[in-house]
Amino acid sequence: MLLIACPWCGEREELEFHYGGQAHVAHPAEPEGLSDSQWGEYLFVRDNPKGPFAERWSHSAGCRRWFNVVRHTVTHEILAVYPAGQPKPVILP
Amino acid sequence: MHPTVVMSNHVHVYVSQAHKGELVMGAGVDSYNGYGQRGSFHLIERQMAAALELFPVFARAHVLRTWGGIVDVTPDASPIIGPTPVGNLFLNCGWGTGGFKATPASGWVYAHAIATGEPHPLAEAFTLERFTTGALIDEHGAAAVAH
Amino acid sequence: MTRREPAVTADTLRRSPLGHLAAVFAEHSTPAEPSPAGEPSRAAEPSRAAEPSIAAERCARLREVPFLAQLDLQLEPGGPAAQRIAAALGTPLPTAPNSVAEAGELRVLWLGPQEWLVIGPDGSAPATAALLSAALRGEPGSVVDVSANRTTLELSGRTAREVLAKGCALDLHPRAFGPGDCAQTLLSTVHVILDQIDRTDAGPTYRLLVRGSFAQYLSDWLLDAMEEYRHPPLTP
Ligand SMILES: Cc1cc2nc3c(=O)[nH]c(=O)nc-3n(C[C@H](O)[C@H](O)[C@H](O)COP(=O)(O)OP(=O)(O)OC[C@H]3O[C@@H](n4cnc5c(N)ncnc54)[C@H](O)[C@@H]3O)c2cc1C
Ligand SMILES: [Zn+2]
Repeated sequence: MLLIACPWCGEREELEFHYGGQAHVAHPAEPEGLSDSQWGEYLFVRDNPKGPFAERWSHSAGCRRWFNVVRHTVTHEILAVYPAGQPKPVILP
Repeated sequence: MHPTVVMSNHVHVYVSQAHKGELVMGAGVDSYNGYGQRGSFHLIERQMAAALELFPVFARAHVLRTWGGIVDVTPDASPIIGPTPVGNLFLNCGWGTGGFKATPASGWVYAHAIATGEPHPLAEAFTLERFTTGALIDEHGAAAVAH
Repeated sequence: MTRREPAVTADTLRRSPLGHLAAVFAEHSTPAEPSPAGEPSRAAEPSRAAEPSIAAERCARLREVPFLAQLDLQLEPGGPAAQRIAAALGTPLPTAPNSVAEAGELRVLWLGPQEWLVIGPDGSAPATAALLSAALRGEPGSVVDVSANRTTLELSGRTAREVLAKGCALDLHPRAFGPGDCAQTLLSTVHVILDQIDRTDAGPTYRLLVRGSFAQYLSDWLLDAMEEYRHPPLTP
């Protein structure tokens, strides 16, 4: 069970949150110019690191706001919580 | 000794009995990527609750051990099987928590792909290409990962 | 002979999600009757018979507060519309997460950085909606009557917090949560808005706003969680 600090509500149990996958996947500026495989890449291909991973979470059973988290995928340690739209913090190894 | 595996998608648990009498139960998957292989407490709790819903008598049993593994899930929750754009690289993955029971069929069609370089007709829809063509196998509920 | 039928009005037709449970709530909000004589029962033991007041003190109380007016308000905080609404309500919109402002009969709950729930007595929705819409005056935002979305359960008494603790992960100890605090959270897996409206010597009073279709399940769960407090405590 993760304990996630919602930027608004503070620490809440994982059950109150919804996972949104990898963060910072930008929508292509000109989708019509992409080939099918480039578009497929944007839709489906994601990083899957063993270590710190920047990902989106929504406080779905609380204030229903989306935000970003850097979580270690082995230890589950939460290394950073920051608002959607802000750059990924630099996490030292 | 219970002779069959009992599974309920409604309350979400599956349970079978080992030869020594122990019950083996399984259920949910974490919602996020992870390599911890521990199993989250709330998933274990939910799985126990589901088991008790089916078999109230299990309330008298004790938990001996819990185990979690890595579950490989694809964007459409169906496996990927067949050749890839890279020569002599073949994929048979994305089975979620359904890879044991599919082994006879997946072995059969995978061997065909390796021997001929072409997907087996039964598995044509399951190649990596579907994530480019968009012909996803949109059957999450029926897919291997959902039991 | 003509039979006189009572007039059919919206008031006689409408039903709250938990209206049929009013008597059950009342019964479970009192100490349990000792079992009939002859049956072995802890409450009937001589040493326990003199302690009914303990059960009365321990007992949590539950009732439905039906048909409260609920308006969902969304707008940019700090803007001119927020200021006009503050003036109209007579209190600023609360901007501290999970806090409540009181404005006469109305309670304004923080639901999100641009979202509030304005709760008022039965029947007050149209007037309050008109007041808020007028103050919004075409600026980006919305006022939506969501009164039919949820009903309200009120749980009170010295053991009310213990009852909630059985299914809610929040720290509701007075050092962390009290009157003026609210939260959107899970209670026994059900989404609820939790609003502590009071704290007295007789214990805290919580309001639980729950969606209509989950209300029966949540009531069943609460009645079960309250049951032990209808009896004197078990002492070894
Ligand atoms: C908790 C859990 C419960 C499950 N329950 C069920 C179930 O009830 N029913 C069911 O049908 N399925 C179940 N599964 C799924 C099933 O276990 C898998 O789908 C199946 O084991 C996958 O088989 P595989 O041979 O493709 O891969 P794996 O069994 O993962 O085998 C891959 C092998 O490759 C080895 N390897 C990796 N890297 C290298 C390398 N660089 N060099 C050499 N070797 C390497 C690994 O050590 C491993 O032995 C469950 C899975 C989990 C995690
Ligand atoms: Zn929140």
